[in-house]
Amino acid sequence: MKSILLLFPILLITGTLCLGASPAHADKIRVITTLTDLADFTRAVGGDLVEVKSLATGVEDTHGVPMKPSFVPIMNRADLLVLVGFDCEHAFLPALLEASKNPRIQVNRPGYVDCSKGIIPRDVPKSTDHSEGDVHPYGNPHYILDPVLAKTAIGNIYNSLVAFAPQHKAEFIRNRDAYLAKLNAKIVEWENAVRPLKGTKFVSYHEHWPYFAARFGLNYVGTIELKPGIDPSPRHIQTLVTEMKAEHVPIVVREPQFPEKAPKRIAEQAGATMVTLPIMPGGVPHTETYIKMMDYIIHTMVAAVPAKK
Amino acid sequence: MKVMTALVTLCLLFLYSTAVFAQSLEDRLKALEETVEKQGQMIQEQRGLQKSMRKEEHTIDEQKKLIEKLQAEIKQNIPAAQSEDANAGQTAPAGEMQQQVQELKDKVDQVAEAQTRTFPSIFNPAIGIVGETIFGYRSKGSAQTGNDRPGGFDVFQRSVELNAAAAVDPYAKAYAVINGSADPVTGELALGVEEAALQTTSLPWNLELKAGRFFGEFGRLGYIHDHELPFVNRPLALAQYIGGESRTDGLQLNWLVPVEHYVSFTAGAGNQFGGDNPPNSVGDFRHGSGVNYWGRLSSYFDLTPDISIEPGISGLWNPKTDAQWADPGGVNPPFPTAGNNTFTERERRLYGADLVLSYKPLQNNQFEGVTWGTEVLYSDNRYDVTDPSRNALPGSTVGSVGLYSYLTYKFHRQWSTGFLYERVENELNKQDKTYAYSPYLTWSLSHWNQLRLQYTHTDHNAASSLSADNAVYLQWAWIIGAHSHGWQQR
Repeated sequence: MKSILLLFPILLITGTLCLGASPAHADKIRVITTLTDLADFTRAVGGDLVEVKSLATGVEDTHGVPMKPSFVPIMNRADLLVLVGFDCEHAFLPALLEASKNPRIQVNRPGYVDCSKGIIPRDVPKSTDHSEGDVHPYGNPHYILDPVLAKTAIGNIYNSLVAFAPQHKAEFIRNRDAYLAKLNAKIVEWENAVRPLKGTKFVSYHEHWPYFAARFGLNYVGTIELKPGIDPSPRHIQTLVTEMKAEHVPIVVREPQFPEKAPKRIAEQAGATMVTLPIMPGGVPHTETYIKMMDYIIHTMVAAVPAKK
Repeated sequence: MKVMTALVTLCLLFLYSTAVFAQSLEDRLKALEETVEKQGQMIQEQRGLQKSMRKEEHTIDEQKKLIEKLQAEIKQNIPAAQSEDANAGQTAPAGEMQQQVQELKDKVDQVAEAQTRTFPSIFNPAIGIVGETIFGYRSKGSAQTGNDRPGGFDVFQRSVELNAAAAVDPYAKAYAVINGSADPVTGELALGVEEAALQTTSLPWNLELKAGRFFGEFGRLGYIHDHELPFVNRPLALAQYIGGESRTDGLQLNWLVPVEHYVSFTAGAGNQFGGDNPPNSVGDFRHGSGVNYWGRLSSYFDLTPDISIEPGISGLWNPKTDAQWADPGGVNPPFPTAGNNTFTERERRLYGADLVLSYKPLQNNQFEGVTWGTEVLYSDNRYDVTDPSRNALPGSTVGSVGLYSYLTYKFHRQWSTGFLYERVENELNKQDKTYAYSPYLTWSLSHWNQLRLQYTHTDHNAASSLSADNAVYLQWAWIIGAHSHGWQQR
């Protein structure tokens, strides 16, 4: 037993030193983002001047990114931490920040880039009592699914990059403007594509879509979850199906991190079409960037309601 | 001739003068024409001005009429707005607008006022309460099981934990955990400070210092609070060798090793470590050798995006202890024949190795996952032995091994199940072995409300004086308010 106990630390130390020897890229601005959409925006604005890593890969729940210790060294060396804000990352970010021991990116420091700055939140709860589930006390944090509000997030990222490296301001402006021009053109395209669906009702698993619905004139009528973070009860599912039938709701949105079974059954019972839509780039194949993801969401929604085209 | 010359001259003069007069007349006529033309233009301009003046006058008249009309309307609408209750739905647009503006102004005033309010509690820490009750049935009494809980039916209010945490200043944060639990014998509430510590937040070189009363970092589950364990009871090996949770009054330094891979190193020193039974007494003067020293090195590897492995090693050493134990009885090879001797622990040494292998699919980790955790402990304490007449008998060290290993399978957002295997040797008598087998089923209605059902079969070998027993537990744990134990207890 003693020899096993002695072998263990030797293996641990050897393995650690072997894996920990690779050099850091000190010449670039090191940015860590919580989600992949923010990573995409940061790459677009920062260009070759930034080295961006995202904690999420795209398939995770925005509130449930696994708290991996392997994130800690990355955060320890980061110059900027870019996050969604509105408490979106409350389940994993505070403990990771504590473990990172990086004073540059702690709350209220210049490296802590809260992209919700300037966003007026929707659905701010009147009470933060847990009887309402895992509510977000500052309002719904899923504003990036509205591409117009995403421009505010891009602006916040630009401001933080300029504040960190003012000598590269001209390049950041050039990159930002080029990306915004591309995004603006896409927004017009998306609005035109969705126009025939105006007023179309839909439900989703989690409350990801109020900003998206408001932007594109859709009618977001409810969630499969009983409350945020609380699984649906059989009674809730039955009530939802009845309401969907009465209101002729044609679409059930399932976000990929939630099981397919309940949304599929609800769609079948209510005579609706279930679609699986990503909530951040990489959530489903061929959605590696924000624009590709929005393209996918819009085209899938349009295809799901052929009668209204 | 003179007359002719005079006549010619006169003719010439006449012709000249006529020409001159004709020329001047022409000029005058031209000038007169120009004047007339200019006067015509002026007349036209004057007429244009007159027209525009008339238009403006007309516009002014119209505007005056409009203003009079609007004023009349407003006068008519004010009483309508004032009697809104009586004439709901008939309010004219202008009055409605005035009212809406007033309402908006009131709301803005309220928000502005709210922002200037001060609350005596505004700097209060985040506060939460955890409650944990265990309903149990054990087939044997405590004399036969060695457990401090009675046999038969039992309801045990294991903890009511009050948590408070806040930033102290820009350099540190602090937290406290006040725990109340029922006394196993009397059932009365025993209140104690479980943790109360200061933790730095801005030390350089990736360092973090913790001071006060806290759970020292040893092993994997030693510093996890009871209600956050993956099963109902603290593993026997931790209870046997650490004495429960790894509570200490001391100082602990953590260093995040500055390499690209995650490596965490912790070292600490404190008056005590773990449970108070037996008390870690050192007499009336404590030397440096009377303090507990501990350390832990841990790392983490992503084998795939979904599978990870987290190994760690720990050590605890107290060079000079003075803890007294009763004779465990039975056959005890390194020591004299069992009797009513007294064992005094002179040196405490504990080594541990732990490993957690996890499968957490990125996409639906809240609905599915497998965790396999194992911890092996080696206790190597040195004891002096005295007989009942306090005569010294030959002392020795006892090398005892204990381990636990559990596998938890999460198959639903609310449900998980698992199995815990335990094996531990008595730290005074390594021949005395205990085994336990515990399947468990956990139902998490939400993050803050959890029920767990567990069956435990405990067995002992022949060297033990204890009897095998079966137990069933139903644990109900709940949380209200803020609750977070930070990175260490993730």
